[in-house]
Amino acid sequence: MIVRKGRSTVQIERTQSALSYAILITFLLFVVFPFYWMIVTSFKGETQMRSVVSMFWPSPFVAENYEHLLNKTEFVSWFKNSVIVSVSSTFLATAVGTLGAYALARLKFLGRAFMASTVLITYLVPPSILFIPLYAQIRNLGMADSLTGLIAAYPSFTVPFVTWLLMGYFESIPVELEESAMIDGATRFGAFRRVILPLAAPGLLASALYAFTQAWNEFLYALVFITNVRLRTLPVGLSTFITGDVYGWGYLMAGAVLTTLPVIAAYIYLQKYMVEGLTAGSVKG
Amino acid sequence: MASVQPSSPPLPSGERVGVRGAYHPDIKPRPRAGLEPLLRRLLGPDYRLGFLFVAPIVVLVLALVAYPFCYAVYLSMTRKYVGMPPVWVGLENYIRLTYDGFFQRAVVNSFTFTFASVAIKTVLGMGMALVLTSKIRFRSFWTGVLLIPWVAPTVVSALNFLWIYDYSLGVLNYLLVHVFGVLSHGVGWLSEPGTAMASVIGVNVWRGFPFFGISFLAGMKAIPGELYEAAAVDGATVLQRFRYVTLPGIRNIVMIVLLLSTIWTFNDFAIIYILTKGGPGGATMVLPVLTYEIAFGAQRLGEAIAVALYMLPALAFVIIVLSNYMRKGRTR
Repeated sequence: MIVRKGRSTVQIERTQSALSYAILITFLLFVVFPFYWMIVTSFKGETQMRSVVSMFWPSPFVAENYEHLLNKTEFVSWFKNSVIVSVSSTFLATAVGTLGAYALARLKFLGRAFMASTVLITYLVPPSILFIPLYAQIRNLGMADSLTGLIAAYPSFTVPFVTWLLMGYFESIPVELEESAMIDGATRFGAFRRVILPLAAPGLLASALYAFTQAWNEFLYALVFITNVRLRTLPVGLSTFITGDVYGWGYLMAGAVLTTLPVIAAYIYLQKYMVEGLTAGSVKG
Repeated sequence: MASVQPSSPPLPSGERVGVRGAYHPDIKPRPRAGLEPLLRRLLGPDYRLGFLFVAPIVVLVLALVAYPFCYAVYLSMTRKYVGMPPVWVGLENYIRLTYDGFFQRAVVNSFTFTFASVAIKTVLGMGMALVLTSKIRFRSFWTGVLLIPWVAPTVVSALNFLWIYDYSLGVLNYLLVHVFGVLSHGVGWLSEPGTAMASVIGVNVWRGFPFFGISFLAGMKAIPGELYEAAAVDGATVLQRFRYVTLPGIRNIVMIVLLLSTIWTFNDFAIIYILTKGGPGGATMVLPVLTYEIAFGAQRLGEAIAVALYMLPALAFVIIVLSNYMRKGRTR
């Protein structure tokens, strides 16, 4: 259908798009400013911080905050701890979650529906009611104050999330693909491995990234389970930098930059999958 | 279905195996032990692989969620100090909390924090989704940028705002006093009871609204374009199209996101713990922070868990309603 646009329609459209851009820019300023401020602060020297000169740009640009952070604090060990904990729990969650999600999405067996509901409910149970008993349990097992304790506890939220996300993915893959593979002589497991897994690769990637982000960002368990300063993870370590001293803000923001970098880098690189994964898998209504 | 095993016992309804769906074309002729067909009938055709694949999840859920949860319910009915054996006291902790003024205030604060945050996030999220569905260039790039607060570590965001809100050197006071000249002198955003709650809500909103936006956006994209064209042909205004086409189309997603965020916000620990630790004078004390303070400050574990579990009936209700919505969304 061809509609000739009159002058007024064009004008309305122009106003609308101007309005859209105005709102968009407001949102962007709101979202980006704290990150901008974090980065600017991390490059400011102590004298500049005290004197409120050139508020919005470092002058001079200094790296002293980063030097202090890397040489005079435990930041490097915390970074290693965070990597160890996040990577291990990501592998664990993705492996367990993939198998479970496939079974819950595709296979017919007793208790399937019940387990599917349980996974969803488990995903919704908040950590704030589990952290004390989990802590007691981890301590009884002799894993308090160790990274193993965190690696053991993190599946409590990563596995249900990954499983739920991937169930959606597996359900969206046409069942005929598996069936034809099995008619051609593949076993159930063979069809899963050769047909379904490759097709679900973007979903696996997205859910692994989310599991990684969740573990990397986790604060409450890490705060409660770990008392040894050297064994802290990044979020807990950073939060102990709050001293009230002016100079503290410089290296605190430097630490904040370096803590944000890995997740943002992964996110920028794989943004397409992550946005799709979030909207296709976790909330699809 | 020709592939139904000839030697399997006659099925009363003819429905158990095969007939209704061709869901297991993997049946191959195999020696007919009496047990295997029976197990398949009782436990489902794929029970072997199914049980094997689900077993790790069952173990994890039992060990990391079910058992701790039951233990928590038990502990909340005891007097338990760190390092001492628990003493059974029944509902004493819950009854005492009910009449405890500080706890009551934390309940009120939790609800204020949650409802205000969720309401603002809904409005901003709707705005974000509408802007991103309108005709703009580089749409997917902007979508990606706007989602960053949701991906960034919560603790980092909380620390950023702690610095932004700082009384003497924070940039917020600098902007309001020196750049815009709105205020004559700075505000102690987090140290004054009047502004502390609004300030922590602001951080929760900043972090959480992109998730609302991206979810609403996904819902809006799923609405068929013909509906809008039809509405336009019928002469519907922009507002009418939003009211009668967009809103009904994303109703389910809105419900899911609202309930999901209600649970998350109600249980948000990191933001308030880092920004105010519940202060000043309990003005921003919410239940998760109070739980932590009683458990690891006062070392009274039983009472702490009672604080955490006090809202369990309400939480359970929200979880059940929400999980029904989420399942419905899936099996559409």
